[in-house]
Amino acid sequence: MWTLADKTLNSRILLGTALYPSPRIMSDSIQACACDVVTVSLRRQSPLDKAGARYWALIQALNVHVLPNTAGCRTAKEAVTTAKMARDLFATDWIKLEVIADDYTLAPDPVGLVQAAAELNRDGFTVLPYTTADLDVARQLVDVGCQVVMPWASMIGSGQGLVERDRLLRMRETITDATLIVDAGLGKPSDAAQAMELGFDAVLLNSAVALADDPPSMAKAFAQAVEAGRLGFEAGLMVPRDLASPSTPTIGTPFWQQETRQP
Amino acid sequence: MKQTLAIVGAGLAGRMLAIRLADDGWDVTLFDQGERDGLESCSYTGAGMLAPQSELDRADPHIAELGDRSIALWPSVLTRLPRPVDLVMDGTVLVAHSTDEPDLERMARRILDRSPSPERIRRLSAAELGDLEPDLATRFQHGWFIEREGHIDNRQLLEALEAGITHRSITWHTTHPCPSIRPHHVDTDHPHYDWVIDCRGLGAQGDLPDLRGVRGELLHLHAPEVSLRHPIRLTHPRYPLYVVPRTDNLFVIGATEIESDDRGPITVRSALELLTAAYSLHSGFAEAHIVEARADCRPAFPDNLPRVTCEPGLVRINGLYRHGFLLAPLLLETVCQTLAKSEAVSLLETNTLLETTRT
Repeated sequence: MWTLADKTLNSRILLGTALYPSPRIMSDSIQACACDVVTVSLRRQSPLDKAGARYWALIQALNVHVLPNTAGCRTAKEAVTTAKMARDLFATDWIKLEVIADDYTLAPDPVGLVQAAAELNRDGFTVLPYTTADLDVARQLVDVGCQVVMPWASMIGSGQGLVERDRLLRMRETITDATLIVDAGLGKPSDAAQAMELGFDAVLLNSAVALADDPPSMAKAFAQAVEAGRLGFEAGLMVPRDLASPSTPTIGTPFWQQETRQP
Repeated sequence: MKQTLAIVGAGLAGRMLAIRLADDGWDVTLFDQGERDGLESCSYTGAGMLAPQSELDRADPHIAELGDRSIALWPSVLTRLPRPVDLVMDGTVLVAHSTDEPDLERMARRILDRSPSPERIRRLSAAELGDLEPDLATRFQHGWFIEREGHIDNRQLLEALEAGITHRSITWHTTHPCPSIRPHHVDTDHPHYDWVIDCRGLGAQGDLPDLRGVRGELLHLHAPEVSLRHPIRLTHPRYPLYVVPRTDNLFVIGATEIESDDRGPITVRSALELLTAAYSLHSGFAEAHIVEARADCRPAFPDNLPRVTCEPGLVRINGLYRHGFLLAPLLLETVCQTLAKSEAVSLLETNTLLETTRT
């Protein structure tokens, strides 16, 4: 059990709902990793609008918390407007805040992001901002009231894993007063395990699961990796050292075996 | 006396069934909410793709197997029609821009892994690509080719089917919506039928609570400077994007895929995406005329697989999603065989369909 803003959750995976081969496979994947939170895109899935009602019903039937996002917003103003619409439509004050600088890479615009986060925090939202691995931006997001910060591990949808590992580690060590979630760039279950070993509170996934040959199995694999990574972090990871140190005393080892161990 | 049969919904499936069942000796009556022009049917908007293997990137492997067998039936369907319909099966070319190369390789690998006939799929060198599509050789260093795929001209087909129905003097009630149908009955104004066939697509949403619309948008461009011979599939992060060459330098560019029942006109974002895709494929599209922009919704069940259900007096065919032209001949053949045997099968799932059509 852990706490994300005002909610107590079991799973440390947040799962996106885009790109699955079918809604059925999406549902199966969400159940396979037993995640408690799913993200939905307001701009393409509007529940109250009659247009997306049937698809929305499928998501509601899963009985999970919905985290609407502001995907596709290019300015702080657009993102704020979209967030307010999402609050009305999905009846939640949670918002995954995305202010995008570049349509192709979907890289965050840090300036617009901090502006929009400040405004939405003042307005009573629980803001989960999608940002880069830049520590100063993360700090500013916390300073303007974000309880949660979601840096990328590498570019969204790239599946490159923890390209920003050192900066993520620095962020985790520095920002101890906010929940940190790795959002974007994870490709393999081991990437998620690494993120958890760094001490991140959770991971947010979409492409790595949705585009897998077998999305429900991949969702399950990520769930196990996240659990292993978290448990490893909590158990206290061994600090790597330069030289090998034998775990068995060499004193009783026959000399010929000691011989073969010499380089 | 002939057995009576009402077909509700005169889209692709309804029209094809009307002709086939009339030829089989049934007394057929057709009902549709729209006019004979078919504008209200999502088949009018579709691109008529017949690409079972290309679809394997995202579709269930059953789709490829059913699709292959279904495509083989198209020529015999067309012989029943009084007018020619363009059916081209010269293969599909897959390409990607350099930044999307990994997506193309991932897509090709997945298609190969899942394909029932991987021998029909091959990687193209720059020279081979140039032989197949000279216009693409300068922009793309390699590509993939999938044999025995193609497209059918959907509008020619709907028109030819209409002509075939007229030719057979089948009664056709146009602008006659039937929002709720039940075994033997289409509505209170019409008598008992031996069979009612539900081909309403999204028009059946009132009777089928898990049927949803998946919006698709596409553009028709007239591009005299562009000569492409094959349907070209370009990788796109969110949906399969095709440029389909029709006759006289007409090209269909599509189609988006959005979880929505909205049948409203194309959005600016989608138009920008499709046009950019076309232009990035071939600069000759810059001077093309945008002849038409269309949007409609594909009927789909939660597993995105087609469903044929049958109870005494009522057969329903629905959820053909993005595979209407691909799967229609085979699914309808199954329906005709079921009706001929007059035995009610409770539900034809895709698995069962495969079994049924094998025998």
